[in-house]
Parts: sequence; C-alpha cells; structure tokens
Amino acid sequence: MPISQFLTAPFKYHKLQTNPLPPTVAKFYKSPSTFTCISNPSLTLPLTHLNDDYCDCPDGSDEPGTAACAHLSPLSPPSPAQHQNPAARFNETLALPGFYCKNKGHIPLYIPFSNVNDGICDYEVCCDGSDEWAGVGGVKCEDRCAKIGKEWRKQDEERKKSLGAANKRRRELMEVAGRLRREVEDRIKTLGAQIQGQEVKVASLETELAGVERSERGRVVKGPGKGGKVAVLASLAKGRVGELAESLGRVRGEREAARERVRELEQILATFKEERNPNFNDEGVKRAVKAWEDYAARDKGPDSDPALDRDLDEILKSDAENGLNWEDFETTEESDVEVLYKFEEYLPKPVRDWVDQKLRDLRVTLIENGVLAAPHSDAGESKAVQDARQQLESAKKDLENDRKELTSHQEDLQKEYGPDNIFRALKDQCIDKDSGEYTYSFCWLGQTTQKSKKGGGHTNMGNFVRIEKVTVDEDVPPDGKGLGSGERYSLVYENGQHCWNGPNRSTRLILACAEKDEIWKIVEQEKCVYRMEVGTPAVCESAAASSKAPAAKDEL
Amino acid sequence: MFFTMPQPRSWTDVFLSFTALTSLFTPVVMVKHENFKTCTQAGFCKRNRAFADDVAQLTSWTSPYNLDPSSVSFKDGQLSGTILKTVGKSGETVRLPLTVTFLESGTARVTVDEEKRQKGDITLRHDSKARKERYNEASKWAIVGGLEISTGAALSRDTEAGSTRVNYGPAGTHEAVITHSPFGINFKRDGETHIKFNERGLLNMEHWRAKVEKPQPKEGEEPPPETTEETGEDESTWWEETFGGNTDTKPKGPEAVALDISFPGYEHVYGIPEHASSLSLKETRGGDGKYSEPYRLYNADVFEYELDSPMTLYGAIPLMQAHRKGSTVGVFWLNAAETWIDIVKSKGSKNPLSLGTKSVTDTQTHWISESGILDVFVMLGPTPKDITQKYGELTGFTAMPQQFAIAYHQCRWNYVTDEDVMDVDRKFDKFKIPYDVIWLDIEYTDGKKYFTWDPLTFPNPKKMHNQLDKRDRKLVAIIDPHIKNTDKYPVIDEMKSKGLAVKNKEGNDYEGWCWPGSSYWVDCFNPAAIKWWTTLFKYDSWKGTFANTFIWNDMNEPSVFNGPETTMPKDNLHYGNWEHRDVHNINGLTFHNATFEAMVERKKGEVRRPFVLTRSFYAGSQRLGAMWTGDNLAEWSHLAISIPMVLNQGISGFPFAGADVGGFFGNPSKELLTRWYQTGTFYPFFRGHAHIDTRRREPYVPGAPYTEIISQALRLRYQLLPAWYTAFHEAATTGAPIVRPNFYVHPDDAAGFAIDDQLYVGSTGLLAKPVVTEGANSVDIYLADAEPYYDYFDYTTYTGAGYHTVQAPLDKIPLLMQGGHVIPRRDRPRRSSGLMKWDPFTLVVVLDRAGNAEGTLYIDDGETFEFEQGAAIHRKFVFDHETSALSSTDIGTQGPKTAAFAKAMAKVRVEKVVVVGAPAAWEGLAEVAVSEEGVKESKGGRRAKVTFYPAQGVKAAWAVVRDPKVAVGKGWRIQFA
Repeated sequence: MPISQFLTAPFKYHKLQTNPLPPTVAKFYKSPSTFTCISNPSLTLPLTHLNDDYCDCPDGSDEPGTAACAHLSPLSPPSPAQHQNPAARFNETLALPGFYCKNKGHIPLYIPFSNVNDGICDYEVCCDGSDEWAGVGGVKCEDRCAKIGKEWRKQDEERKKSLGAANKRRRELMEVAGRLRREVEDRIKTLGAQIQGQEVKVASLETELAGVERSERGRVVKGPGKGGKVAVLASLAKGRVGELAESLGRVRGEREAARERVRELEQILATFKEERNPNFNDEGVKRAVKAWEDYAARDKGPDSDPALDRDLDEILKSDAENGLNWEDFETTEESDVEVLYKFEEYLPKPVRDWVDQKLRDLRVTLIENGVLAAPHSDAGESKAVQDARQQLESAKKDLENDRKELTSHQEDLQKEYGPDNIFRALKDQCIDKDSGEYTYSFCWLGQTTQKSKKGGGHTNMGNFVRIEKVTVDEDVPPDGKGLGSGERYSLVYENGQHCWNGPNRSTRLILACAEKDEIWKIVEQEKCVYRMEVGTPAVCESAAASSKAPAAKDEL
Repeated sequence: MFFTMPQPRSWTDVFLSFTALTSLFTPVVMVKHENFKTCTQAGFCKRNRAFADDVAQLTSWTSPYNLDPSSVSFKDGQLSGTILKTVGKSGETVRLPLTVTFLESGTARVTVDEEKRQKGDITLRHDSKARKERYNEASKWAIVGGLEISTGAALSRDTEAGSTRVNYGPAGTHEAVITHSPFGINFKRDGETHIKFNERGLLNMEHWRAKVEKPQPKEGEEPPPETTEETGEDESTWWEETFGGNTDTKPKGPEAVALDISFPGYEHVYGIPEHASSLSLKETRGGDGKYSEPYRLYNADVFEYELDSPMTLYGAIPLMQAHRKGSTVGVFWLNAAETWIDIVKSKGSKNPLSLGTKSVTDTQTHWISESGILDVFVMLGPTPKDITQKYGELTGFTAMPQQFAIAYHQCRWNYVTDEDVMDVDRKFDKFKIPYDVIWLDIEYTDGKKYFTWDPLTFPNPKKMHNQLDKRDRKLVAIIDPHIKNTDKYPVIDEMKSKGLAVKNKEGNDYEGWCWPGSSYWVDCFNPAAIKWWTTLFKYDSWKGTFANTFIWNDMNEPSVFNGPETTMPKDNLHYGNWEHRDVHNINGLTFHNATFEAMVERKKGEVRRPFVLTRSFYAGSQRLGAMWTGDNLAEWSHLAISIPMVLNQGISGFPFAGADVGGFFGNPSKELLTRWYQTGTFYPFFRGHAHIDTRRREPYVPGAPYTEIISQALRLRYQLLPAWYTAFHEAATTGAPIVRPNFYVHPDDAAGFAIDDQLYVGSTGLLAKPVVTEGANSVDIYLADAEPYYDYFDYTTYTGAGYHTVQAPLDKIPLLMQGGHVIPRRDRPRRSSGLMKWDPFTLVVVLDRAGNAEGTLYIDDGETFEFEQGAAIHRKFVFDHETSALSSTDIGTQGPKTAAFAKAMAKVRVEKVVVVGAPAAWEGLAEVAVSEEGVKESKGGRRAKVTFYPAQGVKAAWAVVRDPKVAVGKGWRIQFA
C-alpha cells in the first residue's frame, strides 16, 4: 500500500503527493489499520496521524513527509520526558534519516526535516523540489532533476575519468618513489662495503704511520757512525721498499673497488634504462638515459692485462720470498759501494730493474731528505711521517664522510614518506596558488610560503615536520575539488616566520585525491595559522580505500 | 592576553610595540588609567568636587543662588524667573534665567541658562570662532516627544512666603516647591518629597568672566598663586588645561554647570550607563566597597576596560532612577558635555517626612557637567514602568527591529575573504546551527576606505550576498566615521569639498589618526552631512551592497588614536560652531542617526527597517538600532559583568543591548565559550565576536560536547523568538526593558533591589540566571514571590520567596517559568529566523497559584514599516481557571493593511498547547473542545486530543493539547473541562 493512501486524511496540509517513502522503511507503513512508531513499538497511532504535520512518535516516524518532528535532535533544547513511567524513556532518536527526495531522473537523497516546507527550494539535495510541497509563502519549486541529473552525470563521468587518471598517476609516483627508495638502499649497501674497505685502509695506514715513525726514530738514533753507510742505506731502502709495496697494494685495492663501483653503476643505469617509463615525460630522465646510451656505446679501453696483475702479485710478495734478506745488509761490514753493487745482484731481474729505477728516485729522495747531503739532520718530523700522517688523516676523513652519508641514508629510510613512500617521489616539488592578496606555495616535505601581491618578499609559513591523519567532513563541490568526508593525510608545517603579535606561522595541508597536484583552497583559520586543501594523486588509492566516492547515495 | 594589543595595524605598530614593552611590567592586563582623566585631572570636576568638600566643612552654608521673586511668572504650564548668583564680596550678581516646564506626562523640566552668554555679551579668547551661548541643542538630538505642556498645572493657592508652589501631574498629585532664597526645588508626589534640587547648596553655574592677565613673574621670582584676589578661587584650570600632551585652549573659560539632587528615603539608584559596574550604583566618595571617583560620562574608546569601576565607557545616558519599596522616581540630566556624578548615601532618619521607626537611607547625588545649560527632567513615577515609559516618550522608544536583528549574529574581526564568509555560512548549515547574520569588520575595505571592497579578498560581494540571501541571511558591514585622507578616494574629496568635516579650533578641517592612518571625521551634526552621507549608501553608489546588507557603526565616540583620551580635542568645532566640548557625548548618536537615515531607503520605493549597531550612544540612540558593550575580554569576570550592564541598558531606555559573546580579546576556554552562549541567548542583541588575534571560535569549532550544547542554546533563542519579538514590540511601544532586573518586575521586593545577576525576558515570566563562573554545577536563583516557578526544560517546580538551588551542569541553562504566563514559541528548528515565518506556534501556558495565566504575542512581517499601518497580529492569550478555557483575543491596532496581513498568515496555526502545572483533575481528560472565529462548527463541535502527564515528585503535572488547528491570527477558545 503506497503512502499516498494515508495522505488522504482530512487535514488541510495534506497535499503530499511527491513524498514517497524510502524503500528501506516502506514496510513500516503498510499496516492498513494503525501505525506503530518505528523505534517505539509500544505506541500506535491512527493512520490519520501520519504526515499530518504534528509530531506524535517520540522518534518522529509518523512524520516522514513534514518538518513536524524536526526538533527531535540532541541539538535542540531538551524537553520533558513524555513517558508515563518515570523510569522509562522513549527512544527519541529520529527513526528516519530525513525527508526522502525521490529525485526521479537523478539520485534519491535525504534532506534534513528542518529544511522541509521552509520556503526554500533546496535543489542541491531535492532536485525534484519535493521538499517544498506545501508551498508555504507561495514558494513553488519545480522539478529540476532532469537538468541537474544530466549535469551531475556528466560531472560524475568526468570525476570518474579524473579519478582513473589520478590513480594511474599515483601508480607512477609509487614506482618513482620505490625506485628512489631502492637507490637509497643500494647506496647504503655500497657504502657499507666502502666503509669496510676504508676501515681496513685506515687500520693499515695507522700501522704504517707507526712503522714510519719508528723507523724515522731509528734513523735518528742509529746515526751514521754505526754500521756504516750501506747499513743505513739498506735500512732506509728496506723502509722505502716496504712503503712502496704497501702503496702499490693499496692503489691496486682502490682500483679494484673503483672498477666494482663502475660495474655497479653501469648495472644501475642499465636497469634504469630498462625499467623507466618512457611515457613519463621527464626531461632530466631523458637526458640521463641518452647520456648513458652514449657512454655504453663508447670504447671502454683495454681490459686490465692479467699478466701485469700477476707481476704485481709477484712484486707484492714479501721480500724474503723474493730472496731478499735485509738483515744481511744491515749487519755486514762491507764497503758501501760493494754493498750497493751486491745488493743489486741479489735481486731478481724484474725487481732489479724496477729497483734500479726506484733507487735512482731514492737517491733523489735521499738528497731531498738530506740523508745523503746532510745525513745528520734530525730537525722536525720527516716528510715520510708527514706523508703517512696525511694519508691516514685523509683516509679517516673519507671514512667519516662515508659513515655520515650512510647514517643520513639510513635515517632517510626511517623517515615517513607517507603511504607507499609516495611523497618521496614528490619531495621538494612546489605548487603555487593565487588567493586574494597573496600567492601561496608549498613544497612537498619542504616549506610553505606566501608572497603579497602588494610587494615584499616570500614569507615562510612553516617548515615540514610530520605527516598526520585528520578526519574531515566537508562537502565536495561539483568539480570534485574538495576534501569530502573521512580520514585524510595531512602534512604539518610549523615554525615559519614569526607573526607580529602572534605565533610563528604554521600551515596544515590536508590532502585529497585529484588528478594533479593543486592547491584548492587556502584559509587563514586564525592569525597566521593556515590551512591548505590540496588535491594530489599521491593519496588517491588510499583515499579510495578508506572512504566512499563523493556524492554517494546516502548523504546524511 | 599579556601582549594583546588593540591593533596589529601599520602605523600603530611602533607605538604599540612600545606599549607592549611597558606592559611587561604590568602583572595583569588592565585599562591604561593614565590615558583617562580622574576627576582631579578634569578642572571642572576638581573645582566642583572641591566646592562640595568646602561646603561640607562649613557648619552653615548658604548657596549664593537666589530666585528673584519679582521675576517669577507662571503661564501656560511654565514657570519663568531669574536666578541671581551673587559673586564675590561686592555683592555683584549674575543673571541666570530659569524655566520650570510642567509637561502633560507629569514630568517637570527645569532649565537654567546664563543671560550674558545667551545674549552673546562676552568675548572669547584666542579669537575663537566658537559660539558664545551655552549649548542648548542637546534636546534637538535627544528629545522627540512628550513635551506637551500640562494644561492642569497651576500655581498653588496656599503659597507661603519665600517659595512658589506648582501643582501638576496626574490629578494634581505632583507638586513642585520652589524656594527662592537660596534657590531650590522640592518635588513631591502625594505630599511626600521624593527629589530635592540644591538641598546641599552645590548648584554652580560658572559664569563668564574675562581673564585678568597677571604680570608675568620676573625671572627668579616665585609666580603668584593662581587664585583670584576677590574670591580666593583656584583659577589654575580656568583658562587652559593640558592632558597627555594635548592642550585645551578653553576659549570660553570656566563654564561648568553643577547641581546636587537628593532622593530622600531612597537607598538604591540605578542608571547612568555606560559603566562596567553593578546595577545598583555605588557610592563614590571612598570607603569600603565604594568608589573614590565619581561615575563619569565622557564617551571614549577604552581599551581593555576594567570591571567594577565608575570609569567612563563608550556611551552615555544621563538618566538616573531612584527606587524604594513602593516608589520609583527619575531624573534625566540633558547635557552632552563631559559629566561626572558623585553619589553618597546616608543612613539615619534625617528625612523629617519619613514616618515609622526604621532607619532610612537617603541618596544624594552631585551632577557636574563641563559646559552647556542646566536642563533636567524630573519624573515622579511611581513605578519603574512609569520611568521607562515617560523617559521613552521624551527620547523615543526602541525602534522595532527587523526579525533577523534579534536572532543570532556571527561576527569576527575578520572573515578575511568572501570565500571565508561563504564557508562559515555553509558550516552553520552543515552543523545544523541556526544563524541569521554574518559580519564584516574593517578588513573587507580596500585599505580602510569605507564604501569600498578589497578587490583581492572580496572580489565578488554579489556572490557572497546571494549565497546568504538564499537562506534569508544578512550581512553586516562596518562603516566608521573617520574618512581616510588619501588620493583617488571620492568620499574624502567630496567630504572636504562640501565642507562636511569636523573642524579644528582654527576652523580648518580637523585631521587625526585612526584605522586608515591620517583621517578626517564627518560632522553629522550638519544636516548637509546627513544628506550627503545618505547618498553613499545607495546601491548604485556603494557597489556590492544589496537589500541584505546592513551596517555597524564603530569608533563613533569618536575614537581618535592620537587625540586626548583617544578622542577629539574639546576645542574642535562642529556645525554651528559649537565646540566639541559641548556636544561630545552626542557625537556618536549623530553618526548613528546619519547611518540610520541612509538605511531607511537605499533604493527608491524600497523602505525597510534599518539595522545599525552602534558602539557610542546617548539618550535617544535607542530609536536608531542596537548597541553592544564594546571590547570586552574573554574572561569569566567579563561574562559576569555583562548581565548588569545589559540590564542597566534596559532600564535606561536603550534595551537593544548585548555583549560580545565569547569575549572580544583573548581566547575563551571551551567551557567559558559555552557558558557565554548560554548567557548570550538572553542578551537582546546576541552576537558572537572575536579579535583578529584570537583563534576561530564559531559554534561548530569547539567540538563535542560543547558544540552540541551551544547549538541547544542557539536553538533555544530561535525557539523563543516569538517571545523575544513580542518583548521588543513592548519595548517599542511602552519603553519597557526587553530583559528586566528583579526590582523592575518586583518593585516591592526590597530584598531583590540589588540583584543584577538574573533576568526576566520581557513580560513572559521567563527567569534566567546564566552560569557565569567556572566549574559551576548549580546556581542559586532568587525568587521574589510565592508563585510557582517551573524549570523550562523539565517542569521541576520551585516555590517560595528566596533562594533556590537549580542544578546547572554544563549542558543546563538555569531557566525558570514564573506561574501566570503564556509563552509563545516556535519549536521547529530552521536555518535562519526568516525561514520560520510560516511555522506553527506552540503555546506554553504556565499556571499560577490560582490556576490562571496570560500572555501576548506580536507578529508582523519582520521587515517593513507596514506594521505602522496595521500589518500585524497582536493577540492576548488568557487561561482562566474559572472557565477552564484558554482563549485568544485581538489586542492589535487595526489599520489599512491589517486584513492583508491576516490573510497572508491565515495558514499559520497553533500546533500545540502545553499547560504546565495542569490541575490534577485533568487526569483522564482525553479531549478538549475547540472553537474558532469564522469557522462553522460541525455537528458535535471541534475536538482536539489532550494528553495529561501527572506530577512526578518535584516535577509538575502538565498536559498537551494535540494540534488544536487554530489560526494564530484568529480568535479562538479551547475548553478544557
């Protein structure tokens, strides 16, 4: 039995033709004899009391088509308990979500009862104008659902399209963010290896420095009188050779590490080229890929010669293994010249040649060091110690830098970059908007600023401090540029420039899904406390997951 | 609040930074006393107070003012004569013309002028262009009626020697006894003296005298003492006064006017707003719990005013009423100059006329004005209603406001853009909180140029107005009297070229500083200025304003940032060459008046009731709109003081008053904000407002449970709008206050005379005692009589005179209904008051001890002046226990538009009748009989269902008549048994 049959009651306000019942509650109105208040079944009414513009049921269910029960609300001044039994109280919560606008040609919606028959056509909700069925004060609200519905569908289509694009864009951002994160992780790995190497190197340099210092001390202590010149020379040469061998070894290690890094980098770049999305038109990426291709195509020069490496291995064997016993030279009483001569003879051919050369250098060095010209000089730290120290310092510094970098990258990994690390992809990108007197801008995870059109520089409105979630409940305008209802990501920027007679400026960004990054609205909520409503694809899927799409059927 | 400065605006920054520094050394925020004068710093006050002290020292004192008996004449209800003031030892006299006019209303008016000044027979110093007369035009601004001369007043036949007696007033019950030497008047009612002029001999009219230039002291010599040789008077403040770096040139010399007025047998005096003080005025001559400064009336922009203080504030109404059991009398001191009033009370039985043995308290007052004529109206009551009525007949009744004006107003300094305004508007709807008006403070203008919109922040005022209009809402924009001195601003160009600005002492346009920086002030004393001002408000002149734009006048004391006491120099010149000194307290009214005039008809043929809020006011401002109590603080103490302040406005003829809900400066706690809304719902003018440095605090901001509780308070206001509107109508036709203190409602209940923390709404019997303290869970409410009082929300009954504890947790407003009334309501919540226009009514019939009740309801279109042609419904509802019937009768005034309005409202019905305190005999009653004018009875008659709810413990029995379907505008009768 349709509700309209109830509405033939002999009351002058009964002109209710356009207010059907919401399908979900229609069953309560089907009894042919009496009506039972939906939430208070102990109360029954004659059918003439339905929609007669007088509120009978404490839950308002007898007036689905009028404003008579609009006052039933926790927002209204309390009224005395109506139950005859003082201990009991009726259920006074409205049984219906509102007046049901069928909106044929559009979407059925509920409008608050307080808006029924108030003389205002609330087309935003009731496009069929049924909320003003009584025509109070002569108001007439024609049915506009055809037009409004068509417009809405068109916009809805666009919204959906836009949402699709936004989601796609978000996936792209996710990939970028993921890649950026992997880069950090990779770098951490690399740094780990590098630091290990550096630590070894520092340790060896420390040993070396200690050795040099000892030998230098030795040189001064031994003096020229003891053991003759050859012994001194042998001792020096021994130190020098050891030094050289060690340098050689280090250089070789470094070369290996460098080669390893180049290989790794080339691998990264190769993957990069392979995995990048060519549809994402980023000039920087394009340039990088082109440069990589050029690089890869170039002749890389000869691979290292394994023979030479073997030679080096040979050289780097300990002196004893090469048949060199420094002890002998340091303790014999032979003449200096002979010693020098024999010394050469003892060496294997490749070493002899190499040593020959080195000895010439050594001589220069000895002169430079004043060993030959002024063998008694013992003023200050010798160059050898200085060099050794310098190398150690430099190695320590490198190690320190690497460690710092590692820490910063590790911290970076701990930082919150939002859902799926998405803001990693946007970091430091900036968006502007003109609003009234100012141009506002925010940079993702950077700072927010304002600049007056009347002149003056940028004013810092806050620096990014954290990501939060906030619950919002806002209407979404037809263009979809609104926060809607539910939980939203929010970026908090604090400690901006100080306000005269106020706080330090601060800004809260509240993010909602949109096709592109855009500031929708800026409000100075109170002095120097700003709120930006921002559309961005970055929060799309999470938004879709946590709340309904805009303009859902039940708007109440 | 430590650093809260009045304004974060450019030019003041430097100045304020300095004050910020100085405030570092002040432990609490407080008014800057050094910016405002004490009596000692105002020469004329100091002189007259010293005079009073001297007189009090003397064992015998004879006032030197004598009425020349030969000059006395009486004609057509008016007595004339000349008072001779004896000056100095030589016996020289000054002639002071006296008139005593007896009005038909029973009010007597006494004026005293000074002949020499009146005739212009004086010379002014400094080649001043000022007028020579004492200012005599205050009545032109303040008085609009009630001046009909009494035809029955007559000289008494049994006049004794040395005095003249006049019988006047209703049935000749009043008598004025004018003694000649010294001059004095005793006003009697029914043979008993209620008011005495010059009882203490403090009458003082400082006559004009030429300055005697003394030889300049030679270097190294002591300057001679500044006293006149003849009388020994202190001359130091006669010719020049400097305060705060500003020197007043005083071209007319000393010209104060002062008089003592005594109220024998009266312990309480009320009135003389505006002060942040108790309703019952305190003594001002020092002592425990008393003030040591007189109450001051000198309209000023007092920053962060302090409470419990006689300091001056923004407005002045020099009306005082004295009250005691069985009698209320009043005096209206019509003077626009700076005025101080000393009050002392003396216990004892000095009054020879007092009978009985009880000790009697007399109240003696001393009125001191800087200049102008003496012009006093004397009203002899005998009830508080008579005072407000007679005073209203003289100065006008409250203008009947538009419906929206008495609903809720949402204000903030500032809603910063048109989008912001629309956003706030949407939020109210979203949270289902009703409101009618949103306000714009000064930031909407283009660089503080009034009549412009900031093109960047308010690019689309039309869209904004349209959105508001969709829900029948309004916008109020601020317009101040200071006009920016700048290029390319037609308003300043026109004002200057037409010569409509206030002039400085040289007669050139006076330039001072206010919000826009350098500014000029429109001189609304000038009829041409009013005419010009009117042109500025036309829709085609001020683009972007519409039929739903209304106006707020601020800073009209006037506030001048760099002037003495933040206002204009006293030697400035207004239209007619009156000195600013003479007209200062009226200045705000003249500006308010000009705006009112402009708002009546902005488009030819579109005549609407204006709504203009003013900060500064004077007697008569009630004809022009509403006032608010200025820049208060978000503190509990300011919430508390708002009640006596609003009550005082009510009994002083300007009842359309309210305080900023939430407190202007500072951030209220959520509890304070909630309690303030619960209090504000009882302000006749109900507006939430906030300073620019505060956080947002619209009702939807604080969240649960506060938002819900605030919404209830707002909806309570809307539910009771029919009662409020009826109360406004009563104010507009009888001068009765809209909210009323205990003494006004119960004039014979001596125990309640000083009560000023609870209030009655109109004649509805609604009695509220808002919670004004933190953390309260109950209040003690004072009941003055033995009638039953019922809790508004649950019908708990309180009976018996004295204090009753009413539970008041945060979500509860202590609100009672006195038995004996019928309270009209509209229960359906709507988005704005305009959308309630077609809603049905609920009548709450609250029975008294005898089982009777009555009440009234007034309805009109809420917008136009058609009610003046009878387009209104005015009903009286009576429940008579004898007949057990509730009936509605017409008490309206018929006019040409009555029928049309009745027709338009024909469908608006009474949907429900609630009878509180219903007789137990109704148990089992199922139906009532309904009859309605013009409706034919069907067979068996019309019936309506009734439900009876028996009493439960302290909760009264009540009954509900279900939809009697009677039209609110028709006569009808509901028969209960």
